[in-house]
Formats: sequence, structure tokens, C-alpha cells
Amino acid sequence: MTETDEIDFEIDPEDLEGGPGTERELGEPCLLVDDLHITYRVLGAKRIGTAAADDAKGRRFLRRLLAQGRDQVGSVREIPAVRGVSFTARRGESIGIVGINGSGKSTLLRAVAGLIPPTKGAVYVAGEPSLLGVNAVLMGKLSGERNIMIGGLALGLTQAEVRAKFDDIVEFSGIGDAVYLPMRTYSSGMSARLRFAISSAATPDILMIDEALATGDATFRQKSKARIDTVREQAGTVFLVSHSLATIESICSRVLWVHEGRLVMDGPAEDVCAAYKGFVRAKRRKS
Amino acid sequence: MEENGLARMGVRPSFRDYVRELWRRRAFIGVLATSKSQSRNQNSYLGQLWAVLTPLLNATVYVIIFGIILDTTRGMSNGIAFIVIGTFMFRFFDRSVVVGADSIRNNLSLVRSVHFPRAVLPIAQVLSELTTLLPALIVMIGVSWVSQFFPGQGPVPLDWSWFLIVPAVLLLWLFSTGCAFLVGRWVAITPDIKNLIPFAMRFLMYGSGVIFSINHLLGDHPAAKILEYQPVAVYLYLARGAIADEPTIPQDPVMWYLGVGWALLFLVVGFVMFWRGEERYGRD
Ligand SMILES: Nc1ncnc2c1ncn2[C@@H]1O[C@H](COP(=O)(O)OP(=O)(O)OP(=O)(O)O)[C@@H](O)[C@H]1O
Ligand SMILES: [Mg+2]
Repeated sequence: MTETDEIDFEIDPEDLEGGPGTERELGEPCLLVDDLHITYRVLGAKRIGTAAADDAKGRRFLRRLLAQGRDQVGSVREIPAVRGVSFTARRGESIGIVGINGSGKSTLLRAVAGLIPPTKGAVYVAGEPSLLGVNAVLMGKLSGERNIMIGGLALGLTQAEVRAKFDDIVEFSGIGDAVYLPMRTYSSGMSARLRFAISSAATPDILMIDEALATGDATFRQKSKARIDTVREQAGTVFLVSHSLATIESICSRVLWVHEGRLVMDGPAEDVCAAYKGFVRAKRRKS
Repeated sequence: MEENGLARMGVRPSFRDYVRELWRRRAFIGVLATSKSQSRNQNSYLGQLWAVLTPLLNATVYVIIFGIILDTTRGMSNGIAFIVIGTFMFRFFDRSVVVGADSIRNNLSLVRSVHFPRAVLPIAQVLSELTTLLPALIVMIGVSWVSQFFPGQGPVPLDWSWFLIVPAVLLLWLFSTGCAFLVGRWVAITPDIKNLIPFAMRFLMYGSGVIFSINHLLGDHPAAKILEYQPVAVYLYLARGAIADEPTIPQDPVMWYLGVGWALLFLVVGFVMFWRGEERYGRD
């Protein structure tokens, strides 16, 4: 058993043959991230358990109750999810993002897609980014057919264009007649396939994929890899967040490693993946 | 930066670009609105029949409680028509504000995955309320007409003025969209405001004479004039003037001017306010 097998239990590397094609020539810069900071503000999220109870020890019940109540009024917690990330992406590049849970990958991607305004710093983009998130179910109550229309229109296609691409999208997603059922009845793999098909239908300038490939089966992974290559060939840029290093290594030429909201490493896929693997192994040994 | 073809992300587009982009997404608005109203009655055996049944049951409840038990419309020629028109129109406004307030939060998955002018959402939400209002309007007019055969109810004759319900509803729709923009922005930025909406609505309901006539109740009190000319009361007046045949609600051009004025004022102010918050929606 190799190292890769140990970490990527959910994927067979041979599904993703071909490698990232690093030889491809890179184009102009199309994305510039300059000292990006994202801070989430969470309302009413004070800890009520230990801290409040401890310093209230010995106080009267009523006073303790009041003290706890006060903590719950108007409390705002700030969570710095991304803290000073800078990088440049070029056309035709495919960039993987790795990092442990909660390190800020999804937040970074959303900010780069312009869906969360930066707290500090700026993002400059050429073209229109399209984000494909793992939990971006469009509308669960509606049929896949409706969702294709809504998603396509939201991406800026016209109704006629969506209709023209409809068969293509259904064919690519491979869900068959299930497209006429409400999306809440889909399995997670089915909705991932449909979402991928919708988001990539418009051949966006920047395609961002947040763990959306993880639930797909082998056929789907092969298909999506082909689709990603198409986007890159048309001078688009692809971002891919995944916990499967095999996926990252086979698709991406460059990898960003994010840890606690900071960019730890930015470089060729093999180097960063190797360093990240080392980090994960060291961490596992510790625990 | 601009010379490289790179544009800064997450800044509010200029007003003109925003309007142009919104216009480009008009098909999106339509599809979103119809999908929403269709999905509303999906999980029931009777399906879309509920679009007519719900307002019919509502009308029955209002007429029994306010028209027969409480008799809030004493001295009116046809109390049933008065109450039914009032409650149906107000319900549309009430629903519009409530769904407008939630328009960002209810569509968070869409907001978080695609870039489009967020004004699409409140517009589509209110439009979807309008599409559910249409079958309700038929019920409303039908019940009003039938009411004249009940004992003690005055006539509701078929009349050309019935067509005036169309402009009245359109004006109310524009006004409601304006309100949806305003509350949509406030609630998206300060979620606490959502808890105040039901109270504001209650206040407006009693202040607009939905189930009773303000004129009858207040007479010459100075507050009566304010209550009479505030937007919601104006639209109720226009709708009642179109269908019912109350001597106290004659056709009045002043009310039509006011109706147009309020609609435009709220629409423009609401839209500008919503646009000014654009870059902050979906932040959490
Ligand atoms: N909506 C939110 N509100 C408040 N805090 C959030 C929100 N989303 C994420 N966070 C916080 O931001 C930090 C980064 O979260 P993020 O989702 O970006 O991590 P991630 O790298 O995508 O993790 P994973 O690998 O589990 O997907 C976490 O500490 C998380 O608690
Ligand atoms: Mg994530």
C-alpha cells in the first residue's frame, strides 16, 4: 500500500489518468488576490457553558441568570477565517487548494468568487467566476429540470441558450429521467453531478470546485476531468478544493496550502502535496 | 489594475450597470417567481387547487368572524364585500413584505454560488406572490358578487369599474416591491428587524381599515386624514372602489394620483436603498 492509498480512501488514482498537463503554456494573469482578509461575524454566539458558569459561581441564582442573559444580548463574535492571502493566477492554470478542516479553503474560494466581500484587501478578476460548492443545492423542492433553467439563467445564459444546452447538461450529468424529479430526492452523487453539469455548462472564465467531485463515482470523475480540461483549454482557470490528494495531483499543476487562514505554501503540485502529506502524517502520529 | 482587464471584485456596481444587469436577468426573475409559486403547493394531494382553496377558506373565516359575529362593518352597504376585498388585498401586501424580508436568507444557496444582481430576489419573491394573488382575485370578486344575495347585504352590480381592479392591483404590486426592497435590505443587514415586522404589519392592518371603516370609526378626528391617505389605505380604497358599490367609497381621482405617487416613491427609494447595500448581502 502506498502513501496515497492511505490518505485517499475514496478515490482510485487510475480513474484520473493523464496528469495535469503542466507543459501547457500559461496565459495572462486573470486573478489577483491582494492581502485578502475575511472575518465572519456571528451574532449571539457567546459561550454559555463553562466560562460564564465558572465566574458566576457562588452568586445567587437570579444574578447568575441575569449575567448569562446579558451575555446573550448583543454579543458578536468575530472569526478570522482568512488572514492575509495573496497570490496571482494565470489563464489556463488549474490550482488546487489543500488544508485541514476549517482552515479557510471554502471561505477563500467564496471570497475569490466575489460572493463574500473582503474585510480587508482586494480581489481583482478578469471575467466571471462560477463557484461550484458541495452544498450549493439550488432549490431542493424543484425538479432538476427547473434547477437547470434557474442555474443557467443565474449564470447569465438566456432562456434559449439554456434550452439548447439542456440535453447536453442532462447527458453529462447522466441522471436520466431523474431530472424530472424534485432535487431533494436525489442522492448526493446525483445532485453533485447535476450541479457540476450546470456550473460548467456556460464554460466559465474561472471555475471553482469545492469538494464537488468527492461524491461522484468513477465515470463521473473521468467526465469531470475532461470538462475541466476543456475549461483550461479555453483559457479558463480552474480552482479545486479537495481532501483527496490523488484528485488534486492528477488535475492541478499548482497547489496552495492553506492553514488557519494563511497561505503556508504555494508551488508545483508534487512539492506542496508532499509537504502537506508530511504535515498530515506528523499530525496523525501526534494524536 | 483596470488596464490589464482585471476588475475589482465585491464592489457595488454603478447604478446604471446595476439596472442594465437586472434588465438582462428579467427572464431569470420570471422563472424564479413561477417556480416558487409552483413549488409552494407541491407537497399536497390537491396540489395547485390550494391556490384557490386557501383564499376561499380565508374569506369564509373573515366573513364569519368579522362580518357576522363581530359585525365590524355596521352601517355599510355590503360588509362582506368590504371585508373580503380588504383582507385579500392586505394579505398580498403582508405576504410580500414577509417574503421580501427573507429574500436573501431564503435563497442563500443561490446567493452563495452565483453572481447576479441581488435585487432579482425581492422582485421575484413579490412577483411570485402576485401570481398566487391572481386565482385569489377571482375568488375575491366571486365572493363579493355572491354576497349581495345574503340577507342584509347591499348590491354589488356588474360594472365597467371592475376593470379598475387591474391598475389597482398593479399599483399595489409596485408599492409592495418597493417595500420588499426596503425590508429586504434592513433584514439582510440587521436580522433583528425581522422580529419587528409582524408588529408593524398588525399596526398597518388596524391603521388601514382592513376589516372596518376608518371613517365610520374616527369620524372627524384629525388622525383620520393621515390614516386615510397612507399608502396601504389608498390601495384598499382603490380596490374597493373598483369592485364594491359603497356610497362612502366613490371613485376619486385624488386617490389614484396618490396611488401612483406612493408606488413610484417606494419603488425608487426602495430600489436605491437595496442597491446601496448590494456588496453586503450574503456575508452572514
Ligand atoms: N458561515 C460562517 N459563519 C461563521 N464562521 C464560519 C462560517 N463559515 C465558516 N466559518 C469559519 O471559518 C473558518 C474556515 O471555514 P471554511 O469553511 O472556509 O473551512 P474549510 O477549509 O472549507 O474546511 P473544510 O475542509 O471542512 O471544508 C472555520 O473556522 C469556520 O468555523
Ligand atoms: Mg469547505
